[in-house]
Amino acid sequence: MAISSQRSSDGSRSYSLYLIPGAIGFILIVLIPQLANLGLSFTAWKGVGTPRPVGLQNYHRLLTDDQFWGSMYHTLLFIVSMTVIPVCIGLVLAALLFDYVRDQFGEWVSSFFRAGFYLPQILPVTVAGVLWGWILNPVGVINITLKAIGLDNLAQNWIGDATYALAAVSLVIVWIQVGYCLVVFMAGLSRIDPSLYEAAELDGANWWSRLVTITIPLLAPEIFVVVLTTLIAALKVFAPIFVITAGGPDNSTLVPSYLTYYHFFTTQRVGYAAAIAVVQTTLTIALAVIFLRFQSQQEAKE
Amino acid sequence: MKRIARLALALGTAMLMTSIGHAEQKTFKIWWFEEPTTAQGIVWKKALEEFKTKHPDVTVSFEQKTFQQLQASGGMILNSDQAPDVLEYNKGNATAGLVASQGLLTNLDAYVKKEGWDKILNEGDFVLSRYDEKGIYGSGPVWGVSVFGEYVSCFYNIDMFEKAGLKPPTTLEEWVASMEAFKQKGLTPLALGAIDTSGQHLLASLAYTKADDAWVQNYQGLKAPLDGAPYLYAAQTLVDWVSKGYINKDSTGMKDPDAALLFTSGKAPMYVSGTWNLGTFASTIKDFKWGQFVIPTPKYSVGSTGNLWVVPKGSKNPDLAAEWISLTLSPKYQAELGNAGGVPIAADLSAITNPIGKNAAAVFKQISDKSGLGFYPDWPVPGYYDVLNQKDTGLFQGSLTAEQFVEQIKQVYDDAQENQ
Repeated sequence: MAISSQRSSDGSRSYSLYLIPGAIGFILIVLIPQLANLGLSFTAWKGVGTPRPVGLQNYHRLLTDDQFWGSMYHTLLFIVSMTVIPVCIGLVLAALLFDYVRDQFGEWVSSFFRAGFYLPQILPVTVAGVLWGWILNPVGVINITLKAIGLDNLAQNWIGDATYALAAVSLVIVWIQVGYCLVVFMAGLSRIDPSLYEAAELDGANWWSRLVTITIPLLAPEIFVVVLTTLIAALKVFAPIFVITAGGPDNSTLVPSYLTYYHFFTTQRVGYAAAIAVVQTTLTIALAVIFLRFQSQQEAKE
Repeated sequence: MKRIARLALALGTAMLMTSIGHAEQKTFKIWWFEEPTTAQGIVWKKALEEFKTKHPDVTVSFEQKTFQQLQASGGMILNSDQAPDVLEYNKGNATAGLVASQGLLTNLDAYVKKEGWDKILNEGDFVLSRYDEKGIYGSGPVWGVSVFGEYVSCFYNIDMFEKAGLKPPTTLEEWVASMEAFKQKGLTPLALGAIDTSGQHLLASLAYTKADDAWVQNYQGLKAPLDGAPYLYAAQTLVDWVSKGYINKDSTGMKDPDAALLFTSGKAPMYVSGTWNLGTFASTIKDFKWGQFVIPTPKYSVGSTGNLWVVPKGSKNPDLAAEWISLTLSPKYQAELGNAGGVPIAADLSAITNPIGKNAAAVFKQISDKSGLGFYPDWPVPGYYDVLNQKDTGLFQGSLTAEQFVEQIKQVYDDAQENQ
């Protein structure tokens, strides 16, 4: 009861009580392991026994490791397939479902499509990955179908050829990500005043100009959130790569998370794996901070 | 009052005795990662029942693990107080060797004599049981015991061979000729999953056609920088085979199970892989007769004694653990292993009635007797498994030449050799 009597003077302290469970969880599950990881990155360790301090040797090795730089480059490409493409597709689809399908075919059809697009988000990534592995392999459904309809030339070694592997894995990731973007955008659209659209329509604005002039600007907060979360997901992508290609063929789909896993569990270079993880974490945090700054600046302008 | 006191005393004593009794009830913890459907899984389950009957005073607690679980975190488990009394562990420098060198296992030298394992197994069968203080196999104390064997061979479709008028090859030339014959019929002769192990097993098998004793010992023991000549021959041969259509270029998009499916469904006449497929093939192939031929090499085959039974340092019941190992090594369960379609390490062949197990046990004995177990190509270097898989796919899809392939795998090997 003391708390309520001091509410006005002590408001922030009483609220901060609610942060304690989260803070404890954060310290135990995120902060301490991160610090331990940072410590390990300055050692050589085989996973058992005592770590041996080696200073900056692991970081030095990183600079000249082609595999690491290759994996960083692939990360850039995964930002396109996990963030840029799904956000664009998600926006257009959300606007289509909200603004056109719902009006023409009713709420039920629109919800049906929304649920359909969201379905890949519910499936465990590993399950989806195994399924796509079957679909994309040289004797999988895609090639069988292409050959059955006489398009033999289009049948490719999707995940076994470096030319297509990255694109094939990206396709799976886009398929997984679109639903998430779509659902958030549709939720955002529902708070936009319908009269804006009606007015624009009366003024003769077509669907595309309504999307560009009304939907996108008004959805800015949702777009920020979705871009930030998918960007972080892209920087730490692991499961689809692990299940579908294991980083191959010839490392053409290798990403930093998989490289960390590989060194941690198979080459017994735990210190080196830790160093990769440190670089990856630092990059992620830096990007998130820059992004959030940018967002708050934008909001301040408005 | 007196009577009540006496009753209380009796009850108290009884309770005390029961609790002592409970304290004396031993718990024996055992883990393995063989799937329940494999020969080992089936036979060990039976042996475990017998073990339980023999020791009614012991609570036997069995846990099914996965290979991945122990591969990924075995060291940490053995380093904790959660380790069992006996468990199946992967052999090799990077696994059993590592935990042995870190002092996490019980030295089994005393048990080898006491339990008479040296009478059942020959010195060759102990090669992967011994690890020195650096964790390198081949010398030092016995840290684990293997009770089965495994080897890589070529599975072939007997019906397809007979129909084409072919016999299982005994030389490399005959093997190539049989592939050419199938190719002429418009078939891709060899099913292969280059993402998984079969690519590197075929590569190593071909390298062994050019390898002598010194090469194998240096290579597996990480004793010298890699002499790339046998691998260059193997890589060149594979490139050649892909270009001639003996192996499909698209193998780079296939895992072992995909390739195995091509064989089991009768679409491909040959498939190079290990004896761990025996059980599955026996139960899934119904439409044709199949067999195995050993890949024609002068001496060495890809293969090894099987995974090890190891006893963690913290085991509270090492005697029971040794008894368990002896049970699985006994003639009864060795024969059962052969009859379940597995590869027993020391079975009396006449006691095996299952033709698949009998053949596999005989072939294994033949390879083991001439000390022809060349081991697996990824063993010497931790993480080499992934390197070989990645570079194999480069070779198969044509992004790496044979020379580049050897240069790249040599770089990783030499790096590990230098820094060991």
